[in-house]
Amino acid sequence: MTTSVAVSPRPATGFIRVGEDAKPWITGFRCMDCGAVATEQTLACRRCTSRSPLQEFRASARGRVYSWTVVQRSYPGIAVPFVSVIVELEDHLTLKGTLRVADHDSVHSGMPVRLVFDDAGGALDPEGAPYVGYHFVPFTGDEK
Amino acid sequence: MSSVYVVGADLIKFGRYPNRSPAQLGAEAALLALDDAGLTIRDVGALYVGSSFNAASMMGQQILQQIGQTGIPCVNVSNACASGATAFREAMIGIMSGLYDVALAVGTEKNPPGMLPSRKTEGPPPEGLFGSGTMPAVFAEAGMVHSAAYGTTIEQFARVSVKNHYHATMNPKAMYQRETPLEEVLASEMIAWPLTKLMCSVNVDGAAATVLVSARKARELGLSRAIRVRGSALASDPWEAHNPVMFDANSVTRLAAAGAFEMAGVGPQELDVVELHDCFATAELLHYENLGLCGEGEAGALIDSGATTLGGRVPVNVSGGLLSKGHPIGATGVANIVEIVQQLRGEAGARQVDGARLGLAHVLGFGAAAAVHILEKA
Repeated sequence: MTTSVAVSPRPATGFIRVGEDAKPWITGFRCMDCGAVATEQTLACRRCTSRSPLQEFRASARGRVYSWTVVQRSYPGIAVPFVSVIVELEDHLTLKGTLRVADHDSVHSGMPVRLVFDDAGGALDPEGAPYVGYHFVPFTGDEK
Repeated sequence: MSSVYVVGADLIKFGRYPNRSPAQLGAEAALLALDDAGLTIRDVGALYVGSSFNAASMMGQQILQQIGQTGIPCVNVSNACASGATAFREAMIGIMSGLYDVALAVGTEKNPPGMLPSRKTEGPPPEGLFGSGTMPAVFAEAGMVHSAAYGTTIEQFARVSVKNHYHATMNPKAMYQRETPLEEVLASEMIAWPLTKLMCSVNVDGAAATVLVSARKARELGLSRAIRVRGSALASDPWEAHNPVMFDANSVTRLAAAGAFEMAGVGPQELDVVELHDCFATAELLHYENLGLCGEGEAGALIDSGATTLGGRVPVNVSGGLLSKGHPIGATGVANIVEIVQQLRGEAGARQVDGARLGLAHVLGFGAAAAVHILEKA
């Protein structure tokens, strides 16, 4: 018998979902009429205006860098430098994120990357519950 | 459609005004524009005011409290960096409707100091955790798409800053009037690759104003200095696969440009002078193509050729642009139009584009809004 109470982490951003087993995933929504995808469940398809219900799906954790920058100065108190990337996932969902990579000079458009869930920098919500966030790492093809 | 003319246009010197309110700045610009037109606030039928950070403060009414409470309708407009141009366009529509013969459009802003804040979100602050939402990073990423597709270099982006800082040395109302050679632009503090500090627009306070009139009123006043609004379009961001996760500066600008060119019945090759939204050096090159000043992928070559420098084929941002004149958010859209008006009148002094007859003013608001106006010497 255990006395510990499992605290389910809270999504650090709106499109992260956390299952009953505490495993997170990125959720996407697809228009069944035109195929457009987005991370937000809108009232109608923002592309074709169809009001057919959008289909929710679990996004792929793999994708490619569409654009990037190395941030050397940000808001006061934010640790720099870091690599900001726009990633197009395999299912065409677009995410913004931080790419953790040792060599900033190796970052390029089209670079294969993999999404990794994390503890959102150790942040806690007002009730003390942990958050779940994500970042990207280079995808070398060796990972499972 | 009935024609609309600009008969008054002016701006205050852009800078920092710690002891004055945005309404006082806007009121000063309004009086300058009215004096330029030879009119008074008693002649004005409606007031349209653009402001972003100071939007929810009944700015137009505050301005009238400074210059005369004549009881006219006030429309207070907020549309990010397109606020001022939106106010101008609404004034134009008011004249076109036949309701007013004279309308005043003002843009005014006191920008907060430092890097402009991002929108509030739930959860932990996203900056650094989920990439960067700062404006330099957003426009760096926009530029890197162009760089990946066409091989555009940091030197080509930097030349935009060299050019616009050079232009500003001829504009006494610019925040900065100092040339910055390429080496200095490249050596200034790196903010977000490929943008150095000198490739980011200047965060300042400022105000600009224009007086718009009907054709009937313009004839009554005399057309010698009148400038005709030939084209006007305002667009919101159309669907694009990466937008809004990645801000799309391009499709919204192209939509507005197409609308304005169609209304004016002219093409980009006929333009003599252009003021476009160089909030960052990367943006200016993107907008060369978005506005049709060159073909796809040719923006780097266009800046290299000198065609967009004063004396070139189509000078761009001869005012010094947002990069050197400064970028008081809600005032910028009106200030761009003021510069085109002064150019078409032949009153731009040392930075005058010889024989300018047709000009374009463009702004881009984050979120997104784009406005394009095409003006012609009457």
